[in-house]
Amino acid sequence: MNSQTSDTRQAVRSAAQWLALLESGGANEQDRVNLQRWLDTCATHQQAWQKAQALRQRFADLPSGLALSSLDRPDPGRRMVLKRALGAVALVPTAWLISRQLPLDAWRADLHTATGERKKVQLTDGSSLQLNTASAVDVDMQNRRVKLIEGELSLKVTGTTPLTIQTKFGNVIVSQSEVCVRQHAQGCRVSVFNGSVQLQPLQGPVLAVRGGQQVSLQAVGAGAITPFDALAPGWREGVLMAKNQPLGDFLRELGTYRAGVLRWEPELETLHVTGSFLLDDTDRVLALLAASLPLEVHSRTRYWVTLLPRKNSV
Amino acid sequence: MSDAALPKEQTLHDLYRDHRGWLESWLRRRMGNGCDAADLSQDTFLRLLASSQRIADLKEPRAYLLTVGKRLLSNFYQRRSLEQAYLAALASMPEACAPSPEQRWLLLETLQALDELLDGLPRAVRRAFLWSQLEGLNYQQIAERLEVSERTIKRYMAQAYEHCLLVDL
Repeated sequence: MNSQTSDTRQAVRSAAQWLALLESGGANEQDRVNLQRWLDTCATHQQAWQKAQALRQRFADLPSGLALSSLDRPDPGRRMVLKRALGAVALVPTAWLISRQLPLDAWRADLHTATGERKKVQLTDGSSLQLNTASAVDVDMQNRRVKLIEGELSLKVTGTTPLTIQTKFGNVIVSQSEVCVRQHAQGCRVSVFNGSVQLQPLQGPVLAVRGGQQVSLQAVGAGAITPFDALAPGWREGVLMAKNQPLGDFLRELGTYRAGVLRWEPELETLHVTGSFLLDDTDRVLALLAASLPLEVHSRTRYWVTLLPRKNSV
Repeated sequence: MSDAALPKEQTLHDLYRDHRGWLESWLRRRMGNGCDAADLSQDTFLRLLASSQRIADLKEPRAYLLTVGKRLLSNFYQRRSLEQAYLAALASMPEACAPSPEQRWLLLETLQALDELLDGLPRAVRRAFLWSQLEGLNYQQIAERLEVSERTIKRYMAQAYEHCLLVDL
């Protein structure tokens, strides 16, 4: 039994070497004779040779571009965290990285983005400010203040002189750190990616929030500090990530990047979605959902889209 | 000796009762997701049921469960990273060239099987192999791309063929 296995292993090794020799184009007439002789020796050799041919066949019918970008993805695959971070890098659209880094010369400016638009600017002190979809800020560098009027911003302050983000629910004081603040009608969510920020709620004591932590700010004060995955890519990289997320939550988030109406049947709410999606083309995201979940996309116009459960789905 | 006489399902049941909660919380800490962790911990016990390992002989059941669990975890992340790369590649394709929705998921499964097949090969060997199989490059072209000699490519290719054939053995 054992010697048979080792024979098979040896046959496989020889078949692999023969194949590589033939493919290299370096085989001469004598090599071919030797290969035939090797094949004639025993059934084990012939089987190994056939298996090697079958292996090549498994790759032959694949769409090469798609297969190559999936199988040759930049993924040294050592550590999980590294894997996730690298996965993110691969997804980042390069256009987003190189463009939109507009220096903001003015000391005072009102900046805003339309629905679906994202913007990145460099402030006069070298800090970098990004606006997510449908957002507006007033920048006042004389008083080192950024007022978040609506939507979401990300601010990275490299220097030690602090910048203050003003919201309706309190202030966030940022120096040598990187933070995201999202404001909605009832409150704000403050997520710290790097360093540490000071939070001044409308009520209650000042508190420090560190990298990897987030907290909600409301009129009544700050909520509990909770951890979050600061390595996961997000809107700043042009990516919408979902990890086993209820589809309803995912669509509400996606909807903030789309002008027009996006509706779905209530029974779709509890399906789950996992993946990284590029925000630059939300129609494409919907198409991907339809390809992976039992639902159909009905669009009367680009601005009126309804998701329905797929009929005759098994 | 009396343990060994018990049917495998019975000892597995005991093992499951004693260690499932512990394994699941270990996985949850690493995955940050309760559902996936629960799935993987179930898979770990299923592997054990399917394996030839005599459960009653396990001296350190948790160490064993951890070994199996880690392997499944790494597999899980590998599948997910492949899926992400695949979806990103799909998303960047013009609609006309993209496979139909039905084909997409069949293709993903095929790619996942091939990804597992190639797992463990050094990066350069893997690339040489993929370029040869998928792009039809000859050894000289691959050698130029990787900036190594053609002899090295021949060695890489033999290594890749052998690796894949041994997996299927």
